[in-house]
Amino acid sequence: MIVAERKPFDEIKEMTKGFKKVLNVGCGGCTSICMAGGQREVGLLNEELKNAWAQEKASIQIDAFTIERQCNADFFKELDQIVKPYEAILSMACGAGVQFVADRYPNKPVFPALNTVFVGVDRDLGWFEENCRTCRECVLGETAGVCPLTRCAKSLFNGPCGGTSREGNCEVSKDTPCAWFEIYKRLKEQNRLENILKVKPAREWRNQTRGTLIQEAFKTRYAK
Amino acid sequence: MAHQETKSVDTEKIKEMLNQRKGTMKRFLSHCAHCSICAESCFLYMAHNKDPQYMPSYKVIHSLGKLYRKRGKVDRKFLMKIKGMVWRNCVLCGRCYCPIGVPIPSMITFTRNICRSQEVYPQLDETSSESWL
Repeated sequence: MIVAERKPFDEIKEMTKGFKKVLNVGCGGCTSICMAGGQREVGLLNEELKNAWAQEKASIQIDAFTIERQCNADFFKELDQIVKPYEAILSMACGAGVQFVADRYPNKPVFPALNTVFVGVDRDLGWFEENCRTCRECVLGETAGVCPLTRCAKSLFNGPCGGTSREGNCEVSKDTPCAWFEIYKRLKEQNRLENILKVKPAREWRNQTRGTLIQEAFKTRYAK
Repeated sequence: MAHQETKSVDTEKIKEMLNQRKGTMKRFLSHCAHCSICAESCFLYMAHNKDPQYMPSYKVIHSLGKLYRKRGKVDRKFLMKIKGMVWRNCVLCGRCYCPIGVPIPSMITFTRNICRSQEVYPQLDETSSESWL
């Protein structure tokens, strides 16, 4: 799941400055689940914005609307009608959703109300942890299900480095577990320690360019 | 959640929303031939031992269908009941297949919008007390 957090309030307030009618659009997908940009969070933010602008005696109308997903055109039908009278849009989706909204309404300024932080898992209620950086060259099969890119402070693909403590912590911080120590422990348990000796070549870092993925079964459908 | 359960329902607003898309939605509802082909395309239906509650057609007929049948005159208890149907029983993956072409996901989306207009939506930090779970 994509995890996001709300931007500092002053930053959001500054974005809405100078507009008379703003629509805050929530997302019912990932940002709703991580409790950053669902219908409730849209309502809370709008109340804060209204109060803040009222204190400065600024006349601004901020309305709310939540769609099920801001990353899929199928869910925009109603928003298309609602958005017309507004001067600007505040989006409480992830970065992908914000761009999708901006592409759909190119004549309107679209502002992100959230910072997209990572792809992660739910540890507990309101507690999320980063587990993947979508590098496109997954090595989890070799590293016993521990991602060295995400969980090693130096993102080393050939580890461990010399900074691992006897207790298995990273030199960066005593509270940070060493990913490679974890990899070693698990590989040993699985009798696959030879994996750690394999030298992994330099990576291509293809994720520096914009990605597009068409699943195999759909390749003929979208062939140009 | 307490707020969701106690606030009064604006039936006029629901009626207005239903009327806005009455033509297409009622046509889609009437086009359902109850063939059940959509059932096996739903992974939730398959994962829940083919429980009929998870059939895409069931979810739409018992939520949006009932809203139209009652002409929007529903109470909060009804909205809380369909909340489970359109959120817990459907993840809106959009993979349900209808041989006639009834757009089930857009009907579920519409039902969710109606619920949202009455402040009925999942309260994710209070899941243990959610009656629809």
